[in-house]
Amino acid sequence: MIKFKLNGSVVETDAPSTVRLLDLLREEFELIGSKEGCGEGECGACSVLVDNLVQNSCLIPIGALEGTDVQTIEGYSKTPQYQVLNECYATAGGVQCGFCTPGMIIATEALLSKNPHPSEEEIREGISGNLCRCTGYNMIVDAIQLAAKKGDGLW
Amino acid sequence: MVTKTVASYHFDTLAETISKLNEEDCTIIAGGTDVMVLHKSRRGVAPKIAKPVVFIDHLRELKQTYLEDGDLHIGACCTYGEMLEHSLIPNIFKKAIREVAAPAIRNRGTLGGNICNASPAGDMLPLLYIFNAKLVLRSVNEDRIVEIHDFIQGPRRIARQQNELLVEIILPEVVNEARLIFEKIANRRADAISKVSFAGLLQVQAGKVADARFAFGAVGPTMVRSQETEKKLLSQVYPLKVEVLDEVVADFASIINPIDDQRSTAAYRKTVALKLLRYFLTSKELF
Ligand SMILES: Cc1cc2nc3c(=O)[nH]c(=O)nc-3n(C[C@H](O)[C@H](O)[C@H](O)COP(=O)(O)OP(=O)(O)OC[C@H]3O[C@@H](n4cnc5c(N)ncnc54)[C@H](O)[C@@H]3O)c2cc1C
Ligand code: FES
Ligand code: FES
Repeated sequence: MIKFKLNGSVVETDAPSTVRLLDLLREEFELIGSKEGCGEGECGACSVLVDNLVQNSCLIPIGALEGTDVQTIEGYSKTPQYQVLNECYATAGGVQCGFCTPGMIIATEALLSKNPHPSEEEIREGISGNLCRCTGYNMIVDAIQLAAKKGDGLW
Repeated sequence: MVTKTVASYHFDTLAETISKLNEEDCTIIAGGTDVMVLHKSRRGVAPKIAKPVVFIDHLRELKQTYLEDGDLHIGACCTYGEMLEHSLIPNIFKKAIREVAAPAIRNRGTLGGNICNASPAGDMLPLLYIFNAKLVLRSVNEDRIVEIHDFIQGPRRIARQQNELLVEIILPEVVNEARLIFEKIANRRADAISKVSFAGLLQVQAGKVADARFAFGAVGPTMVRSQETEKKLLSQVYPLKVEVLDEVVADFASIINPIDDQRSTAAYRKTVALKLLRYFLTSKELF
């Protein structure tokens, strides 16, 4: 039995320890906000927060999660920080097809919680593990800059 | 307490982990960023790992970084992210770490994992080689200390006994004024594997070379280092005479034999490797 915190509640699973967190989230817990793009750590669509650090859920064997605190986009969407990101991504046009968006939002949260007023360079580095096929990134960078301004004091 | 699901172990202590390794041949998982990709199966299906699995990345004992008698000890399970934030980690290592993958991988991938994966393109390896890193391998019987160049034997081949765990990496003290370089050449800045990497150390005292060390990555099955060539530089006047410089570059030209693969060509790798060496040995802007 593996026990950890998921979006604020303690959960247990008897799935084998090498199951990927991404599969556990999507199949056992029906949390389908985390997406599978590459399955090899390269696209960031599966990003979640583990103990407040951004990580790729496609690379995490659930056995490594014992005692940790996992937050997915579903849990994060209940926070005031998410409200700001949601609004700023919409305003700046940072979402097109939306496939990368949950991962992008999680990477943005990880960035802003460490560095509430990042430079453009720091923003690009913060989201460098997240691929977007639609926006060309500039609109996402704008969204994050806007969020840093609008959400001043939140992070 | 042991959490056991289909022959997998997650012990509270290092001691229990080591004694399990003595009983059973296990697949060790630290961050899992190499293991999970290597054993990847279809979507929705757990990676196929044949042996029992032992998780180690939660073990506090493997996350300590401290100085002892001038030597820096780094716990095998320190992640790139943890090393970036630690004041004792040398800046040149931090520069290299910023060029590894992207933030999410840096929050999982460990130094010990990079070493034990023994990839020719492992980005921590060139610096570890020029720092003369020593590895502490622990088993129920003893702590064995091995030089990194003896430990890494080829792609994914390391001199680890089945009952041993890499617990610590030791960086012997490096003289303060040493000039250090790390360069990684890859297709893009994030999430790209090295085509060539290079680490160099040069110490000049009273106008003469007092120490010189070089290691090249991704140009052979393991890092390329030549202590024989390095010795030729000792006591030479600095800036180096053209003949001395040419001889050192020619020595490396004869031992660097890269391959063509999907990431680059042998010719490109060799040209760039030698240019990086020449640049390091002559650059005035660099220091
Ligand atoms: C998208 C992506 C990008 C990457 N980019 C880079 C890059 O830019 N540069 C780079 O160098 N690497 C890169 N890597 C590779 C990988 O992230 C690193 O090699 C990392 O350091 C591996 O550490 P880990 O803890 O995740 O290793 P794991 O996958 O847990 O382990 C790797 C190997 O080492 C063994 N092992 C681990 N710890 C120990 C120990 N303490 N004792 C004995 N054996 C041990 C394991 O059994 C396994 O064989 C990348 C990987 C991915 C998925
Ligand atoms: S699906 Fe995890 S990084 Fe692409
Ligand atoms: S909006 Fe389509 S991938 Fe980013």
